[in-house]
Amino acid sequence: MAAGMNLAIELTGVTVERSGQRVVQDVDLIVAPGSWFGLIGANGSGKTSLLRALAGRLPFAGGSCRIEGEELVGDRAARALRFGFSPPADKLPDALRGRDVLELVGGSIDDVRPRLGTLHQALGLAPLLDRWIGDCSAGMRQRIAIAAAFAGGHSLVILDEPFNWLDPVAIFDLREVLRDIVDDGLTLITALHDLGTLASACDAGLMLADGKVALALDEDALRIAAENPQVFERQTIDRLRSGSFGEI
Amino acid sequence: MVRRLPGTSSADLKAGRLFRQDRLILLNTIRATFAGWHDRIIAAFMLVAAFAAVHAWFVDHPWMIAAWTALAAGVVIGSGAERLVRTRLAFHAFDGLLATDALHPQTRRRYMTAWHSVGIALLAVTTLIVRPSLLVVSVPGYLAGVMIAGLTSGVRMPKRIAGTARPGWTLRAWSHRPIAGVAAATILLLLLLPARTLGTNALMAVVGIATVLLALTLTSVDDAVVRFMAIAGHRSQRIFVHHGKGIATFLAVSVPGCWIILGAVAAGIAASACLAMLLLLTLRVLAYRLHTKRFADLLVSIFAGLLMLVAYSMPVALPVLAIAMLWRLQRRGQAKTWLLA
Repeated sequence: MAAGMNLAIELTGVTVERSGQRVVQDVDLIVAPGSWFGLIGANGSGKTSLLRALAGRLPFAGGSCRIEGEELVGDRAARALRFGFSPPADKLPDALRGRDVLELVGGSIDDVRPRLGTLHQALGLAPLLDRWIGDCSAGMRQRIAIAAAFAGGHSLVILDEPFNWLDPVAIFDLREVLRDIVDDGLTLITALHDLGTLASACDAGLMLADGKVALALDEDALRIAAENPQVFERQTIDRLRSGSFGEI
Repeated sequence: MVRRLPGTSSADLKAGRLFRQDRLILLNTIRATFAGWHDRIIAAFMLVAAFAAVHAWFVDHPWMIAAWTALAAGVVIGSGAERLVRTRLAFHAFDGLLATDALHPQTRRRYMTAWHSVGIALLAVTTLIVRPSLLVVSVPGYLAGVMIAGLTSGVRMPKRIAGTARPGWTLRAWSHRPIAGVAAATILLLLLLPARTLGTNALMAVVGIATVLLALTLTSVDDAVVRFMAIAGHRSQRIFVHHGKGIATFLAVSVPGCWIILGAVAAGIAASACLAMLLLLTLRVLAYRLHTKRFADLLVSIFAGLLMLVAYSMPVALPVLAIAMLWRLQRRGQAKTWLLA
């Protein structure tokens, strides 16, 4: 990263606590504007807590959080305002329709549609708009939750494991469309569970283990990884198993 | 440059998206629950019956007793409403669609004011129907309850989620095992042995109260477990069996034991209490399949109230009404689509 470059997000030594326990410790992270940042790690490694804290859904217990140059570590409401965030799909209210969800977040559906752009088609939203959430499958709920993150027209978006529950075609389409939107200027941060997507779609990434940074992946590392994803996967897993943390 | 995002303009803040969302959820849930004409008739009948019973009680008692009762009810309702609103706001801020609004002090205040206005209006209308002169105590009681709950909301026991033994969960899981029913029945019978020296009325009261208390500990239902089992493809009967093994063995051991120790009447009381708890357990299992915990609990409370009313005024109709309720909930549960992907 070039010195002095404007950063979309800059976290320095942040910690997050949940129910008195430190679940994220001393994490440093920088995200360039108009890039896709992937966060990976085992279950319970602190990915979701870090993303929630970044989006104002949890407080930071310490450190520095600069968003677009502004220090917001102590201001949850301001952080929540800056990010589009997909709520957990299983927490969407059963007694609302897909249309209600998007309109509550982004105003009239006619205003929301252009903000979603090609994502509307990739997520197959048309038949879901008039469907009750309570009658939706897990995959359908996930599509609506992802759309909700974009309904407000934010330039910074956080998606927590967006490919969960989706069928292979939807995963492929969503990944392509997200990459296109990022190329058009969106800053996207996602928690992921597969190294293939991290290698092929993300511009930079971070691996968390026990709430700490286990591995930092810059643009060059991911470019090399994309050329041979199987080798990258093997090397990354071996590094994690051996506990040798650092940068590839 | 600070960009204005949808939903953050002053007009949006005034409109109160949080309140609008919850009102929409509430209205849609009520519409879905009382979709059929017979559901609405039952609900209207229950409402009228409840108002009539409460009105009769308050009118029959001297004003001072009625006033203290109304004040206490107002405090309890106000305190409960405040806790409910705060819990809901915490959900919105953590898992909700509109966390921005739930974290913003101005919209938080508007949301709380809106729901408390609804609460005060409902309490005022109820008081006017029940005994209008009590309005001077019920509404101030509500406000006092809100204040008490607001002041004590910061006082919480520290809670650790991960890495703890969770004795409550362990006990709840154990209470559903057949051995728990046998253990509870043994405790009941041991308690009743020294109680034999009491007079008949007192003894029967002890049998009834002890049976209900022990049966309550055996019939806890975790709404998340019910929903998970439903999503995993288990039918209502299977979910009921999972939760009802403890109370079943309790019934099988305690009723014959009471008969042997205290006679047929005591056994009848114990059996009735167990069956009532089994009915309550079944209603909760079926309701949790269909609704969120809060709404399901409200629905079951209304059903239980209606059953008690019918048991008191028209006992012959009780089995018919109970079966109708169970059949209705079961049918709606079957129609519900549960899909994993």
